[in-house]
Amino acid sequence: MTTLSTRPTAGLRTSGTRAWLSRPSGGWRQSAANKAFLLPAIAVFVFLFIIPLGQTLWWSFTDFTGYSPEAAFVGLANYRVIVTDPSMLAGLAFTLLFGVGTTLLITLLAIPLAVQLNKAFRGRNLVRSIWFFPAIPSMAILGLVWRYILSPLESGALNTVLGKVGLGPVSWLSDPTLARLSVILVGVWAATGWHAVLYTAYLQSIPQEYYEVARIDGATPRQQFFGITLPLLTPAIVISTFLLMTGGLKVFDLPYTLTTGGPGFSTYTITQSIVVSGVGQGRYGLASALAVMFTLAVAALSFGQLWLTRLVEKRFA
Amino acid sequence: MKRRSRPTALAAFAAAALLALTACSGSEDGADADGKTTLTFLSWTGEEQMEQVIDAFEEAHPEIAVETSYSPPVAEYIQALQTRVLSGTAPDVFLIAAENKTNLIDGEHVVDISGEDFVENVAPFNLETYGRDGAYYGLSLSSWAAGYLYNKELLAEVGYDAVPETWDEFLEMCAKLQDAGITPFLESVDQMPTTISAWIGAKNDGMDPSLDDQIFSGESTFAEQWMPELEEYNRVFEEGLMSPDVVGLDGDQVRDEFANERVAVINGGPWYIGALREANPDLDFEFSLVPAVDGGTPFAAGAASPGYAINSKADEDKQEAAKTFLRWLATPEAVELFQSLTNDVTVTSDFEPPVDPAFEPMVPSIREGKLYLPMIAWQRAEDVLNVEAVAQIQRMIRGEIEPEQVAEALDTKLAAS
Repeated sequence: MTTLSTRPTAGLRTSGTRAWLSRPSGGWRQSAANKAFLLPAIAVFVFLFIIPLGQTLWWSFTDFTGYSPEAAFVGLANYRVIVTDPSMLAGLAFTLLFGVGTTLLITLLAIPLAVQLNKAFRGRNLVRSIWFFPAIPSMAILGLVWRYILSPLESGALNTVLGKVGLGPVSWLSDPTLARLSVILVGVWAATGWHAVLYTAYLQSIPQEYYEVARIDGATPRQQFFGITLPLLTPAIVISTFLLMTGGLKVFDLPYTLTTGGPGFSTYTITQSIVVSGVGQGRYGLASALAVMFTLAVAALSFGQLWLTRLVEKRFA
Repeated sequence: MKRRSRPTALAAFAAAALLALTACSGSEDGADADGKTTLTFLSWTGEEQMEQVIDAFEEAHPEIAVETSYSPPVAEYIQALQTRVLSGTAPDVFLIAAENKTNLIDGEHVVDISGEDFVENVAPFNLETYGRDGAYYGLSLSSWAAGYLYNKELLAEVGYDAVPETWDEFLEMCAKLQDAGITPFLESVDQMPTTISAWIGAKNDGMDPSLDDQIFSGESTFAEQWMPELEEYNRVFEEGLMSPDVVGLDGDQVRDEFANERVAVINGGPWYIGALREANPDLDFEFSLVPAVDGGTPFAAGAASPGYAINSKADEDKQEAAKTFLRWLATPEAVELFQSLTNDVTVTSDFEPPVDPAFEPMVPSIREGKLYLPMIAWQRAEDVLNVEAVAQIQRMIRGEIEPEQVAEALDTKLAAS
């Protein structure tokens, strides 16, 4: 087997190239050329991220409507509107609930699921595919389909099934609490399989010798899970929860298609507020202020989460 | 030397490629070609229908070529147009709609067409919808109306041949339907309820100054003007004649219940007709105006369709060509073609549009402009107020708040906007 350290033979290259490559880093020209290859990425980053971010920050202090480049400076007025608007505060509350709720539930479900999917059994690949399937369609499509399944009417798909076993129709999407729960559960259903596959990939990298030694020492499956599997899955947990939290906080399509943010503002999200205020209402200044506050909140939460998971990682390392 | 420059050359190539990629904005100068004036147009109507209209126009006016781009309504269209207006690349002709009329008029992006001959055969209601202070900014050639759809057979089971004309009688009919084991009424409330829109419209009809003039000038409030209608609407839930679960339904779900004959009356508009006929060809249904409250008359919710507007930043030649385009669009031939392709109920005086027999009870309201939609009638912060109203009405239906609090929330929102 070829090792990764095998280098190509110098004989395949010209002597000039060999001399040039023989320097530890290829010299300043090579270094400059290497850096030049970063230019496209930097340009994309600057044009698509830094400049829009700066522009958003500026607009957040103006009454920009999106129809004229002229915008008057209004100071912190947009920020004051946000912190006193009940609909925006409701959006913030549900966004946090969705982000934290889906992260916790998916993590709690995906790890045991991954352990089961990692075991050898007949039809394993089919079962893995079935679990992975909900991650393929867009959340908007899933939201529309689930809207019919969770219809609060007696003729709704789920209520029809419940009716067959003698249970009355449930107000899935018309009761504020059940609507919040429904959105979170559909989000969990859609993403658990994907994250289980992520965990499965990490599980496969855990040497089987550890489990053999543990079995010889008399460790129970539970002890093996908490003593070997879980600690060695910590890097995967860090990645998975980070993706879940950032994705959960930015959620828009699922609640929008499933409940349109209702009933009332019970499943309204911050991203929906940004889109509605900006595009729908031509209040780009306000939407920008909301986006700035949201970016800061997501950054704080994400860094906090990373710091916490790093601590856990170190503890199990 | 050549070898040493190779990585640098590659990097330069990469940078050049990037520049080429980032410089891919198309030029849209609209310059005359072969003596023709090229008019740019952002269509609200789908390509399948509009292409035929444009072909007919170009045949009638070979001196003008129309370069049409398409964007589906509503949010995507509004966003696309707004981006083009902001970047100075707005088309010469576009559609002014409820969602953008305030910004377009305030920003002076649209030409006043009130003095043009082609507005003479258009219903005043449609012109005034996209106008301000006597000026007209959009040529709206059709309107839509929403009311109640009723299943004739289910109503006949309790002795009715049509929806009653007053709300009290309507609730009485609903109670009889319910006693007969029939779900009487479902109204989707993911948008402003049709019932409330129609009632406010009926109240506003003939008021001078208008109800909204009074509210937006500070002379009156939502609490004063909307309270009786909100209280009446809440009765249907308090009396258990409509399930509060409607807050979790959209229009399509309500329509499907009606198509499957599981409900006797729903709210809706002409856009349901095709789907209902396809889903249940045997369904015997008809439209009716919304029953009246408080001694008023039955009324319809609805509005003028978006109007064709001319970009005020376009040069003089383009504006003249745009007027020729609008003038042709308002001709009976063009209106007939457009109507046959879209099934819209047109409102020009020199063409009588054919409509589905089930929809006929709504046509006089459309042609006379007896329609009302709060979001279009409101004079500022339209979408802000609409989002607030829908959410608060849903909360009222769930029993979380009283009608009074809905009206107060609207007053608070208006004061903050």
